[in-house]
Amino acid sequence: MTGVYVVGAALRPAGRHYGENIDDMAAEVLGKALADAGVDIEALFVASSTTELVNRQQILGAYILESLGIDKIPAFRVECGDGSGGAAVTAAYYALASGEYGCVAVVGVDKPNDVLSNQQVDVYAAVMDTYFERYFGFTPLSHAALMAKMYLKRHGYKYEDLAAWAVLMHERGAENPYAYFRRRVKLEDVLSSEYTSEPLRLYDVAPLVDGAAAAVLCRDRRDGPRIMSVAVATNAVPFNMRSEYDTLYSLREAAARAYKAAGISPRDVAAAEVHDSLSIFGVLAVEGLGLAERGGALAALKRGGLRVNMSGGLKARGNALGATGVYQLVEVAWQLVGREFKRADGRYGVVHSMGGVDRTSAVIVVGL
Amino acid sequence: MRHESVPMYWRNIPQYYRLVAKRCRQCGAVYFPPALRCRCGSAELEDYDELPHEGRLVEYTVLYQVGTDFLKQKPLIVGLVELNGGVRAVGQIVDAQPDRLAPGTRVELVFRRVAVDGRHGLIMYGYKFRPVQP
Ligand SMILES: [Zn+2]
Repeated sequence: MTGVYVVGAALRPAGRHYGENIDDMAAEVLGKALADAGVDIEALFVASSTTELVNRQQILGAYILESLGIDKIPAFRVECGDGSGGAAVTAAYYALASGEYGCVAVVGVDKPNDVLSNQQVDVYAAVMDTYFERYFGFTPLSHAALMAKMYLKRHGYKYEDLAAWAVLMHERGAENPYAYFRRRVKLEDVLSSEYTSEPLRLYDVAPLVDGAAAAVLCRDRRDGPRIMSVAVATNAVPFNMRSEYDTLYSLREAAARAYKAAGISPRDVAAAEVHDSLSIFGVLAVEGLGLAERGGALAALKRGGLRVNMSGGLKARGNALGATGVYQLVEVAWQLVGREFKRADGRYGVVHSMGGVDRTSAVIVVGL
Repeated sequence: MRHESVPMYWRNIPQYYRLVAKRCRQCGAVYFPPALRCRCGSAELEDYDELPHEGRLVEYTVLYQVGTDFLKQKPLIVGLVELNGGVRAVGQIVDAQPDRLAPGTRVELVFRRVAVDGRHGLIMYGYKFRPVQP
């Protein structure tokens, strides 16, 4: 069996990087990842969600490579909204597994802070159905709020139980040098923050941040954590036609395939990064990955038994849109080997990268 | 932020104004938004203009963080509505006080202004729902 390994990586602290152009920001982190890996790459995969909407830039890969003076290799862009990162890693994995390339890089980048905060809502709303959702003013937040309300009711929780997610993420983010929010918050801070879409409040919404992350992947070079399996699934059911609102269909499908291909079960997972663009999605992702039973994630959180998002998740590290999934891959790989993060207590880690409101999910299993 | 496309608005008017759906000729399944192929495998879908314009609220939220075209209307009440007969749609709930809404509240379809394109002055309309006064 072909093995794909993460042989080098680099992260940019997430934040507001007003002083840099998007291509340079990606090039800087890619250059560091290449130096970390010490290999040449034969292809580049760019994960970016908003380069047209925010930066009016296409063919971003060519401009990133221009900055680094890397000539003549192919560059591809993968766009799956804020799930672009996981999808790009998956595409890179397949390109290596096909035998076409020996080493490739994935770089994720987005700069949502190049527009004003109201315009950020417009930009992020592009992950919704543009004709039948975005047109009417709906956003990922409004639909997450509907799902949160139904989840909390169905499983007998109060909003306070959900508010604990943000508290935990901020606690973790305080320990992550690459996180946007590096401060702890109290439950009262969450409970007294303004409504964004009730029952969800300000602390339930992950901040959109400028970010860039890169990983160098090589075939059959046992020099780093191994990508055991990848799986992407889209959900073709429109929001109003879903039969259930307290689950993530795209994740359930991708997780089942990725676990099967890796030959592991949720019990083997020692490190996990999930897509909590909205708090409720983090909760549903924990359940979708089988790390808690259906309806049990908030109870597990209360018991203190949730070992996910040691990075602080999208809530504290930040939602760097297309770059997010690449951050997550690097964070899980580094947690497995104890680099920058406390070493995970086990051999396997898993990444959940999601685009929009359960429209597409990538699951990546990483192992030692 | 960006202006809306006039052809985009124009071609979706049947859906925006009258909830025109697609119905499968083989099995009768109804698709809103319209689909091109049914889950049963049939590609024989026809326009279906008879979705009921009354129904009940399944769940709702009050949305305070809105895009630039909706700043003047904020907050928006966004509701998941089950139309009589079972087909569901998401729509803004208007002429309503949030604290007097609840799952099960009877609603009916109304025709309203959705947004005004600030750059071109295009006024766009579409369906919304309002509570039925008992
Ligand atoms: Zn059919």
